[in-house]
Amino acid sequence: MKRFLAVILALGLLVTAFAGCGSIDKTADTTSAAAVEPVSSAAPAATVAEPVPEKKDVTISYMLSQGWLEDSEKELGDKFAAETGIKVDYQVIPSAQYFNVLLTKLNAGECTDIFGSQSGKFDIVSQLNIEKNAVDLTGAEWIQRMDPLVTDQVSVNSKVYGLTIWDTSPSFPVVYNKKIFDKLGLSIPKTYADLKNVCTKILESGVIPIYEPVADGWHHVLWFPDIGPRYEELEPGLIEKLNNNQTKFEDSAAMELALTQLQEMAKLGFFGKNFLSATGADTENNLGTGKYAMALSGFSTPSRIQEAVPEAKATDFGFFEIPLADNQILCMQPSGPSRFIYSASKYIEEAKEYFTYITKQENLQEYFLDKDTKKSNLCFTGVKNKLTDEMNNYISSYEKKGSYLQIQVKYLNPQWMDIGKDMVAMFTGAMTPKDMLKSIDKRRADQAKAAKDPLWAQ
Amino acid sequence: MKKNIYPLYFTFGALGLYLMLFVLPGVMGIFYSFTDWSSYSREINFIGFENFKTVFSPDEHFVSYIFNTLQFTAITVVAKTVLGLIFALLLAEGIKGKDFHRAVIFMPAILSVLITGLIFRSILNPEYGLLNEFLRFIGLGALEQQWLTNVKLALYSIMAVDTWKGMGYIMTILLAGLQSIPRSYYEASSIDGASFWGNLRYITLPMLMPAITVTTVLNLLHGLKVFDIVYVLTNGGPGYVTEVLYTSVFKEFSLGKYGLGTAVSSVLFIFMVFVGYFVIRLMSREEVEA
Repeated sequence: MKRFLAVILALGLLVTAFAGCGSIDKTADTTSAAAVEPVSSAAPAATVAEPVPEKKDVTISYMLSQGWLEDSEKELGDKFAAETGIKVDYQVIPSAQYFNVLLTKLNAGECTDIFGSQSGKFDIVSQLNIEKNAVDLTGAEWIQRMDPLVTDQVSVNSKVYGLTIWDTSPSFPVVYNKKIFDKLGLSIPKTYADLKNVCTKILESGVIPIYEPVADGWHHVLWFPDIGPRYEELEPGLIEKLNNNQTKFEDSAAMELALTQLQEMAKLGFFGKNFLSATGADTENNLGTGKYAMALSGFSTPSRIQEAVPEAKATDFGFFEIPLADNQILCMQPSGPSRFIYSASKYIEEAKEYFTYITKQENLQEYFLDKDTKKSNLCFTGVKNKLTDEMNNYISSYEKKGSYLQIQVKYLNPQWMDIGKDMVAMFTGAMTPKDMLKSIDKRRADQAKAAKDPLWAQ
Repeated sequence: MKKNIYPLYFTFGALGLYLMLFVLPGVMGIFYSFTDWSSYSREINFIGFENFKTVFSPDEHFVSYIFNTLQFTAITVVAKTVLGLIFALLLAEGIKGKDFHRAVIFMPAILSVLITGLIFRSILNPEYGLLNEFLRFIGLGALEQQWLTNVKLALYSIMAVDTWKGMGYIMTILLAGLQSIPRSYYEASSIDGASFWGNLRYITLPMLMPAITVTTVLNLLHGLKVFDIVYVLTNGGPGYVTEVLYTSVFKEFSLGKYGLGTAVSSVLFIFMVFVGYFVIRLMSREEVEA
């Protein structure tokens, strides 16, 4: 009898345990059903009674990197929620960790409804496996208004997968304090020798020449690929050969030269003593107070400096191109942070609705340009840009234009953060410029091998 | 001897769940470490020891990550145990407001690692951080350091933060151990004229050995599995100098190289089983001998 009772008790425990698991699923189903129901009921209502679409009670999640979300977009999100009932839960991840988190989520099959990532026609395939992980958005009205060069960077096999709302002004120029330059009798450097001379004189005057926020993990990498067109100019055919696996980064003398110069800048103290722990959030303040004289930063930096430091004026700041390896080619950006809808999302239609809403002409103008101090122009037709005379002068002062390296060379952008780590190792002396280039080659080969790229199979 | 009250099959439910949720994934992980499993391809091929060759290859950084992990573990085990013991002895008795002091020292243990990391990133900032500001304030500006970005210091700074966070927990376990030592031993030794050190060496430490065994194993496993505090404080930097095994596992997984990721993880798993077993055996033996 005792034994019989014991067996019954054990079975009872097991059944309870599994029933507990089962009940969780049921609850989840009920919740999701309840959440989805208004959507399905809204559709027939719309076809029969037309005008007033029923409000949905849905929350869509949107994961993105720190720095990609402005308050104005959140404000627009609130407006969107008030009109449609669809709330947007913005999940901002620190930039140094963002790609690891995103790729882990995608690889684990548990991503948010919308995810942000840099565009780039090679990388969205090799890194994001975009055809599997994102929803095909081809046919959306806003695509016709998006710059075709930008659209190309979020497209695969003639299908558009992403929405890019970004500044199409030139990529990160060097923003410099004109007052400091005037006071020291300096002019815009056009070669590396000029830059070294300028930095030395600024340093001697007690000002730190360049603010470089290395702690963010990504920013300092810009120095290397942003002068991509210069590498091609010095070594014609380089980019094609790199993409065909006929040459390697480590064989490029131009790249090694640029990195050696960058390493020298760090050694000479041009970035200051504590640059490895500097963060981008302090850029405006450091430039505005005159503690630093220059920074590699966006086109809208002068106006943001004026906002952060009232005594500084936006007109006190000018721009020039990175003169490493004597570069004098203007770097343009056809790519930028983009939004993709996760293919396994339960709320694909709601996410599409969000895209349609934010890309309305008036919303782009008001919330992404007029209210967003970081942007001066958008990659959409029909919006009025905010380019100042200073910006226009800078653009027109360079005869040649080109696009940065990561958009032109395969398997480069996915290793951005790793390049950042290598570069820090180079700054600290743990790696040489050559080692860094070898490291890039190795990661490219690994990615190509994993992607079964036939050009790397030989 | 009395027969067990409960029959063996009572354990089957728990055992089944344990096998399914812990043992099976572990064994599967070891199996996958011999494959080229990745997010880039649906095919999974058996590639023998290829991933393990990569892990131990001199061209890769993994060996230095293993070294960092071991160094982190060894130093934090000793630091937490010694400091935990010192605080436990100080706060065992004879001090005013001992409960308050105990709570203060234990407090960091209940803080989230993320919060701790963010606070310490700010405290250790070379320019505006509290620590360097304090050193400058008391006229010891010459001692200020780039705590988290100096290649020679960064790993030690992480160890210090981890020790600060973990020693309160160890102290609590040791305090419980101290209180279980009969007072009569100390009374007898004081009649014999034993000093504090004599008491410590011949009574406290031997009697505390079971608790020290527990804390050592806990610290050891925590040290070998360290991830979050490194991730938050330095993310493995500057460069790769503070990278440990689990941060590299995370990176391999995020790159979609599951096979290699599981291989690194398997190396650590085997090592942990091996070390854990021998430490327990060694310390249990000392306990018996003592």
